[in-house]
Amino acid sequence: MKRLRKWTAWILVLAMLVPLVLTTAGCSGETQADDNRIVIWHDKEDAVAEALEAELARLVPDVEIVLEKKTSLTDSLKLSGNDPSAAPDLFIFAHDKIGVFAEMGILAPVTDFVSEETLSSYLDMTIDAVTYKDTIYQLPIYFETLLFMYNRRYMQDDEVPATTEELYAYMQENTGRGRYGFVEQHSTAYYSAAWIHGFGGSLISADGQPLLDSEEVRRALQYHLKFVELMPGETEYSTVNTLFIEGQADATIGGPWMVPSAREAGIDLGIAPMPTVDETGLKLSPYSGVQGVYVLNHAAQSKDETVRQVLEALSNPSVGVALAQASGCAPANTACYDDPAIAEDEMVQAMRETAEIATPMPNIPEMDVMWTVTGNLLSDVNLSGEDVDTAAAQAQEEALDLIAAMQ
Amino acid sequence: MGLKRQKKWKQKKKGKGKTTFYAYLYSAPSLILIGLVVVFPILYTGYISLTNMNVYHWFDFEIIGLGNYERALLLVDSGFLSALLATILWTVVNMVIQLVVAFVLASLLNIQSLKLRKFYKTLLMFPWAMPGYVSILLWKTGMFNSQFGLLNQWMEKLGLQAVRWLSSDVSAFICCTVVNLWLALPFMIMIMDGALQSIDKSYYESAILDGAGWFKRTIYITLPTIRPIIAPAVIITVFTTFKQFDVVYLLTQQAGAKTGSHFHTLLTYAYENAFITNNYGYSSAISIIIFALLLLFSWKFRLKEEP
Repeated sequence: MKRLRKWTAWILVLAMLVPLVLTTAGCSGETQADDNRIVIWHDKEDAVAEALEAELARLVPDVEIVLEKKTSLTDSLKLSGNDPSAAPDLFIFAHDKIGVFAEMGILAPVTDFVSEETLSSYLDMTIDAVTYKDTIYQLPIYFETLLFMYNRRYMQDDEVPATTEELYAYMQENTGRGRYGFVEQHSTAYYSAAWIHGFGGSLISADGQPLLDSEEVRRALQYHLKFVELMPGETEYSTVNTLFIEGQADATIGGPWMVPSAREAGIDLGIAPMPTVDETGLKLSPYSGVQGVYVLNHAAQSKDETVRQVLEALSNPSVGVALAQASGCAPANTACYDDPAIAEDEMVQAMRETAEIATPMPNIPEMDVMWTVTGNLLSDVNLSGEDVDTAAAQAQEEALDLIAAMQ
Repeated sequence: MGLKRQKKWKQKKKGKGKTTFYAYLYSAPSLILIGLVVVFPILYTGYISLTNMNVYHWFDFEIIGLGNYERALLLVDSGFLSALLATILWTVVNMVIQLVVAFVLASLLNIQSLKLRKFYKTLLMFPWAMPGYVSILLWKTGMFNSQFGLLNQWMEKLGLQAVRWLSSDVSAFICCTVVNLWLALPFMIMIMDGALQSIDKSYYESAILDGAGWFKRTIYITLPTIRPIIAPAVIITVFTTFKQFDVVYLLTQQAGAKTGSHFHTLLTYAYENAFITNNYGYSSAISIIIFALLLLFSWKFRLKEEP
C-alpha cells in the first residue's frame, strides 16, 4: 500500500514535470526560418485582410503569406521585438508608431526594398507621414481621415454648413428633445485636433515640444466649448456612432469606418468638405492616419528577397483599388485614382480631397504620451468645466514631465 | 543505554531527513511553476528597474543604479498621495459592503426551508461566468450611459433630468463600487456559503436550548466559526481590490472614452503617469514601489490576523 502511494506520487511528479520541461523548451527553441514564408501581423477589419490576402495570393503566388490578426499589436511587438521565433516578418499598422519602433531599433527602412521611383507615385502627404528622421520606415497602402458626414433625411444638401458659425447656428436650431444637430467625439485628442489645427495650432511640434498651453490651442478649446454644450456628455465612439446611425443626430465628423454601418442602417449618407473656422479662415483639419506595411530588421536580413517581392506586390496599384472597393479605403498610391471605379467612389474622392488639408498624425515617440495628456485636458475643460488657461498650463507641465520620463 | 538512544535518535533524524527530502521532491514541480510565473517576474522587474530600458535603449540597456527609484519617488506628489488615499478608501468601502452583503445573502441561502436553493446559487454565480471586461463595458453602456443607459431611462420615466453618472468623482466612485461588488460578490458568497455549511448544527441546537436568539447565535457561534475559514479569501480579495485597475480604468479613464471623473486608484494613476512613457526601467521602479506598499499592507494585515 505504502509502495503504491509512493509510485502514485512519483507519477504525479513526472506528470507535472514533463509539460513544464516541454513548455520551457518550446519557449526557447528557435523555429526554423522558412525563407519563402512571410508572417504579417495586422489589426484590420476582415474585409481589408481578405482583400489583401487575395491580392497577395494573386501577385506573389510563390510566397506563403500568413496574415495574423493581433488586437494589441503594438504591445506584442514591444515584447517580441526582433526575436525571429516570436516576431512577425512584416506588420501593417498606422504610421504614428514609426518613431517608437524606429528608436527601438526593430525597423528596417523600406527604401532598401522599394525604389524611389515607385515611391514617387505616392501622395505627398503619405510619404511625409511615414518619414522619420529622413528615413522612410513604412510603405503606405491606404490612409484614413475624418469626414464631415450628414444624414440627408434631416440635413438637406443646401443646409450643409460651410463655416463653423453656420454649424453652430444649425446645432442651436436642431438640438433638443433627444435629438442632436451635430455630434462628434468632442473630448478625444484625435477628433479635437481638427479644431486645434483650424486655429493654426498643434498638439506637439516636430521636434517633440508639447504645445498645449499655446495661444492657438487655448483659443480653439475656448471656442469649441459652445459646441460641446450642444452635444451629449459622452465622448466615446459607441455613443456618437449609435446616435448618428439611429438617426438621432443629423451630422457628425467620423472616420470611413462608420460608413458601412451607416449604409447598412439605410441612411442616405452625404459627405461634405470640413467647415471653415470663421475667425481664422482655416478649415477644420483632421489628423490623417497612413496605414501601411513595416519591415522588421530580422526579416530584412534573413529573407530580403522574399520581403522585396511582397513589398513590390503591395506597391502595385491593384492592391489599393481592391482595398478601396472592399472597404472604402483611400489608396496612398496616386496611380489607383485612375481606375474608373475609384474615380466614381464619392467617399474615397472626399478623403482624397481632405488629404489636401489633413495633418498627418505626428510620428515622433513623444506623441505616445500626448494622446493621454490631451485627452485629460479635453475632459477637464469639456466635461469637468475647468478653466481653459489653468487646465492647459497644467496639461503642458504634465506633458513635459512625461516626455522627460521617457528618457 | 546512552549509545542505543543516540543510535535511535540518529535513525529518527535520518528518517526525518528522508521525509523532508521527499516532501520537497514531490512539491518541486509546483515550486518550479510558482518560481517561473510568480517569483521570476518580480525578480526580473526588480532587475529592469535598475536599468535604463526605454524606447531609446531597447536592446542596449544597462544598469544605472537607483536612478529610476529617485525619479519614481518624485511621482509621490499630491496626485499620488490622493490616489493612495482613494485606493485605501475604495478597498475599505468595497470590503465592508462585500462582507456584509455576502454574509446576508449566504445566510439567506442557508435558511432550511428555502426552495430553489440551487437556482439562486447559480444565479448569484452568474457574474463570475462572464469575462470581467465584457461585464464592465456592459454596465458602462447598458446602465450608466447618459443617452441609452437604463438608469437615465428610469430617470426620464420619473420626469427627472438625465444624469452623467460617471462624470463627477463621487458618483464615479459609487458606480465603480457597484460594478466591483457585482463582479466580486459571487466569490465571497461562495466562500461564506461553504463556511456556513461547515458549522456543526449541534452548536445551534444547544444554543437554542440555552435560549440564545438569532443575534446572539450569529455573534457567538457563526462569526467566530467562519472567521478562520473566510480569512484567506478576505486577504486575497483585499489585495485584488487594492490593485484594481479594470473597473476604474474601463468605466472612467479609458483613452478615447474619458468621462471627466478624477477618481484614480494607485494603478490607474501609475498607468497614466508612468506606464504610458514606454520607459520600462522607470515603470518597473514604480511597480516595485507599489509591490513594496502591498507587502507592507499584508504584513500589517497579518499582525491583526494573528492575535
